[in-house]
Amino acid sequence: MAAIGDEASAMDNSARASAAQSAALNPASSGGGSSHVEAPEEAAATPPVAPKKPHTNSDGGVETAEEAVEPAEPDINELCTDMFEKMAIFLQGELTATCEDYRLLENMNKLTSLKYMEMKDISINISRNLQDLNNKYASLQPYLDQINQIEEQVSSLEQAAYKLDGYSKKLEARFKKLEKR
Amino acid sequence: MASVDSQPRFGQSVKGLLSDKVGSCSGDVIALTRQVLKGSRSQELLGQAARNMVIQEDTILHSEDSLRKMSIITTHLQYQQEAIQKNVEHSKNLQDQLRHLLK
Repeated sequence: MAAIGDEASAMDNSARASAAQSAALNPASSGGGSSHVEAPEEAAATPPVAPKKPHTNSDGGVETAEEAVEPAEPDINELCTDMFEKMAIFLQGELTATCEDYRLLENMNKLTSLKYMEMKDISINISRNLQDLNNKYASLQPYLDQINQIEEQVSSLEQAAYKLDGYSKKLEARFKKLEKR
Repeated sequence: MASVDSQPRFGQSVKGLLSDKVGSCSGDVIALTRQVLKGSRSQELLGQAARNMVIQEDTILHSEDSLRKMSIITTHLQYQQEAIQKNVEHSKNLQDQLRHLLK
């Protein structure tokens, strides 16, 4: 659009030059009456110096229009780069938040799985120890039966001792009776 | 929205139009990103998972404590079994003596 504007301004300058030449060549023919006509023509031929205002040019029947353009800022590239970088950082931050939440959940799951593995090891040890204990208690069973037998024998011994004690008391009483006679 | 942007805004410079367009595009990209995150429902799922984990943690700690106590009790039972093993070896002699006594 700036290039078109430059070409249009060049054409405009050439048109002004031709208008000035034609005005200079025909001063007499135009006379005073047409001076007023020419004045507006010159005014029309010489538009105000405002390159920013759009105007039409006619050259060979082709009308062109110049779009109003403003001079580009010299650091527009840097501004664009800065804008895109900041946009990328912002979007990355938005997505990173969710990623970090997932990482946190992953770490929590890993720790929980480690804890469950420790509990599994403890359970395996307990199971092994209890199996050994059951086997050892099974091997102790004959001894436990012997202890039961011992207990029965001790109770029968106690009964025998009580009977002996009673018999000895009877004997003592009879002996004393006989001794009195 | 596109039709509104394509309509010519009279009285506004090219720079203003361009900056408006860039701003609207940026806003669209941001809105798209947020919609993608919202559509994935990751926040809801993560929040629910974190809540379940917190509830479960207490149970896990209690279970671990119980297992450690069980292992200690098992060790004590082993010690008691060894002591019983040592003492029941005398029961044979004791039984022989009792048999003689009762004869």
